[in-house]
Amino acid sequence: MTFIVRQIAVTADGREIIRANPFEDAQIGVGRNAANAIHLPDLAVNPDHAVIRQLDDGQIEVESISGQKFSVDGRDKMAAKIDPAKGAELGFGGHVISVSHDSDGIVLTVKRVEALSDSAEDREEGAIYTLKGLLPGKRISAWSFIGLVLAAFLIWPIYTWATYKGIEERPDGFHADTMWSSGKLSEAHHSLEGDCQACHVDAFVTVTDKTCLTCHEDDAHDHADKERLLTAVGEPEGFEKVGAAFASAFNKPPGRCVECHTEHEGEGAMQPTAQKFCADCHEGMDGRLTDTKLENASDFGISHPQFRPAVLVQPGGKNPPRKRVSLDKKPDEYNGLKFPHDVHLSKTGGVAQMGRRLSAKYDFGDSLACADCHTPDSNGVRFEPVDMKEDCSMCHSLAFEEIGSTVRTLRHGEPEMVRADLRAYYRSTGPSRPINLGGMKRRRPGAENDNRVASDYARAVQFRPSRANLAIEQVFSRGGACFDCHGVTPPTARGRVDYGIKPVTQTDRYMHKGWFSHEAHIQEDCTSCHAATTSDNARDLLLPGIKTCRECHGGEFQKTADVPSTCAMCHDYHADDGAPWLIKEQQKDKRKKPDKVANDNDALKPSDKLTVKIRKQKIASR
Amino acid sequence: MASVPVPGGGSKKKVAMHDGFLKHAGYRWLKIASFIMLICIVSYLFIDVSPRHNGGSWYGYLLGTIGAGLILWLTMLGVRKRAMTSGQWSLKAWTSAHIYLGLSLIVIGTLHTGFQFGWNIHTAAYAFMMIVIISGIVGIYFYVTIPQALSNNRDEMTETQMLESLRSLDRQLHEAAQPLSAEHAALVLQSLEQDPFGGGFLKRVSGKYPNCATRAAQADLRRERAYQPRMGGDDPLDKVDALLQKKEATLGRVRRHLKLKALLQVWLFIHVPMTFALIASLSAHIISVFFYW
Repeated sequence: MTFIVRQIAVTADGREIIRANPFEDAQIGVGRNAANAIHLPDLAVNPDHAVIRQLDDGQIEVESISGQKFSVDGRDKMAAKIDPAKGAELGFGGHVISVSHDSDGIVLTVKRVEALSDSAEDREEGAIYTLKGLLPGKRISAWSFIGLVLAAFLIWPIYTWATYKGIEERPDGFHADTMWSSGKLSEAHHSLEGDCQACHVDAFVTVTDKTCLTCHEDDAHDHADKERLLTAVGEPEGFEKVGAAFASAFNKPPGRCVECHTEHEGEGAMQPTAQKFCADCHEGMDGRLTDTKLENASDFGISHPQFRPAVLVQPGGKNPPRKRVSLDKKPDEYNGLKFPHDVHLSKTGGVAQMGRRLSAKYDFGDSLACADCHTPDSNGVRFEPVDMKEDCSMCHSLAFEEIGSTVRTLRHGEPEMVRADLRAYYRSTGPSRPINLGGMKRRRPGAENDNRVASDYARAVQFRPSRANLAIEQVFSRGGACFDCHGVTPPTARGRVDYGIKPVTQTDRYMHKGWFSHEAHIQEDCTSCHAATTSDNARDLLLPGIKTCRECHGGEFQKTADVPSTCAMCHDYHADDGAPWLIKEQQKDKRKKPDKVANDNDALKPSDKLTVKIRKQKIASR
Repeated sequence: MASVPVPGGGSKKKVAMHDGFLKHAGYRWLKIASFIMLICIVSYLFIDVSPRHNGGSWYGYLLGTIGAGLILWLTMLGVRKRAMTSGQWSLKAWTSAHIYLGLSLIVIGTLHTGFQFGWNIHTAAYAFMMIVIISGIVGIYFYVTIPQALSNNRDEMTETQMLESLRSLDRQLHEAAQPLSAEHAALVLQSLEQDPFGGGFLKRVSGKYPNCATRAAQADLRRERAYQPRMGGDDPLDKVDALLQKKEATLGRVRRHLKLKALLQVWLFIHVPMTFALIASLSAHIISVFFYW
């Protein structure tokens, strides 16, 4: 049998050229050496790789002589027997040798199947110089990112919202819609941080006042009627129309709580109302809200009306009638008392002299000062009403009798008791006994004189109780103890002595819409604001006008002023009887950061400090 | 500007072809973008928004709308670039506007935030935007600096020629290595069988191929032959050595070319997918704002 070696070469245009060489040898070599019958120009093939020999039984044997393997039908072998009739495929490097059998002998068809080098392989030239295949494609990663981002930031939060819809309180833990939070909530709302739906109830519906009022049922009240508020704000102007257009296009009605109470502005306390919020309405408000009784205001330093204290129309009663009058109209006020401040504060004269006499007992010093009669209230903001017993009776004594070492005084505030006490006094005491009655001393000669004295005395004793009416009349009339300070109502009929005292109302707060704390002005003299030293009439309303305040307080933007003051320093949007939010926050801050260099004064209550301060001023003025 | 004569409406404008996309039309879009940024900054400083600037004020809405519109328009470059035209709205003009208006988005977007950042979707959208812009800036840098280096490296060879040159060298190596012993042939085979374009992304962008089989083959051959006496005459190894050296030089050029081309493209693999991440997060940002209105 012969070996027929067919070499198949492929031309550049893909045509196959077959060359066949018969070999009559019983054994032929396979290798890279050109001497081999099967010459494989292949660097992966050993120069003398293997031999193929015929066996007697018609089979052929392939055996490696180089120690390098070859493959038979894809399996690596060192030696193999093959039946040419059945055929096989031998692999040497990049070549395959198909074994077959035909009438001429054993056919070995040699063909190169692998390119001779990697670079020789077919390549898509447009792609090999690009990053294609080295990085995930742009299209696929773009879609992946779209999917991931939408799933994480849109679908998941909406799922969370849908899950907890209508549930009163969410459990603790992470909720995906918190990823939508644009910032931390304020301190007061911190507990709602994970519960978006506490406020954002319905999808695409803005936070409504109803949601706020769920919790703030007691402490949130309107600043004014909503319709009036919206009228006062006026139509948006200029660029604000942009915001208004957005708001109305996306169903954001104006005038809701959250318009001012902006949330998600970061941790910390709620900010005091910004002046601009006030000025938005109150600047030129009379032009929009034409029936308003309020005057325009936009800045304390620039545009703020004169103060209009609530002045007593008539004293007496629990809620005496009051009327707000501008200080420009120089209102006076009758509160039921007579009191000339000038006399009492004078450094000379009877009052000062009396003060000096009583100095040892009451520490009046050379003359009286404000603090001798006026006592600050517990937090130092305003003053306690002047109290007769505490603040006046040191000088204005109501004593009428001394029994042993006890001094009896008329009851202040109870005219009936005054009358009763005086009557009892005259009933229980006799007239002073004449020295010449009875006994032998200093008697005028003659029995007649004796009788006259005796009868005079007897008459005096008899008429003694009726003297009480005279005394009562005197006490309630000009020159009497009551009349000095009080208005007195005359008796109901001639001959009667049922005098009455006109009602007294002491006002502790004149300006209910604004806040003023005396304690905050502790560095000032009382008289720098209150012209008490020149007031000779209790009717004088000793309130300072806005001009006095403006000596120190400028508007928000008057940075050169001693105290640039925003509206929020004195006013609150939701005002109550207490201090404005701004002041409360300041006081909170002060409590948080106590002064390290505390002196004696700092240990005292604010009101004590105020008293000490007033007294110190007094001492300095001497 | 006023002194520049305006060409007649009918006459076709001459486009200075040598002007790059940065200098296009005398930096027209740089000027426009600078003007926009200036307007934004000045208005941000002078417009009093209470209680303070944030995305939810009317001014914030305005900037946000402008920014979102701009982002969508900038994205359209991907569509626009597939249709090359010339003239006023040429692709170059479009690209120039894309770059400068894209840069102005830094100012518009940042002012829209009112400098309020947090771990939320809103800041995430901003972060995606900044990644897109910064990758774009890197891209501009590459587009400005790389073409010259690319040209220098190519030395007037085309990419096809480079590949052909490699193939030719491989064929010659294959031929020259035929007489070699099995061990030597194996070394050459290593070089032939290694994919000159393989090696992964990091090797591509760094241009460093520590496992280069060609270099290894040459080094091994040289080490082996260093102490062997020269046979004189036709030692096939001499030829193989020379060819390996040639191949290594060619590979060096190809690899530099690949690196430079990779750099020209790699930023887009961030820029483009991040653009879509940005658009997705922008949608989530806008929807979430109105959802929890």
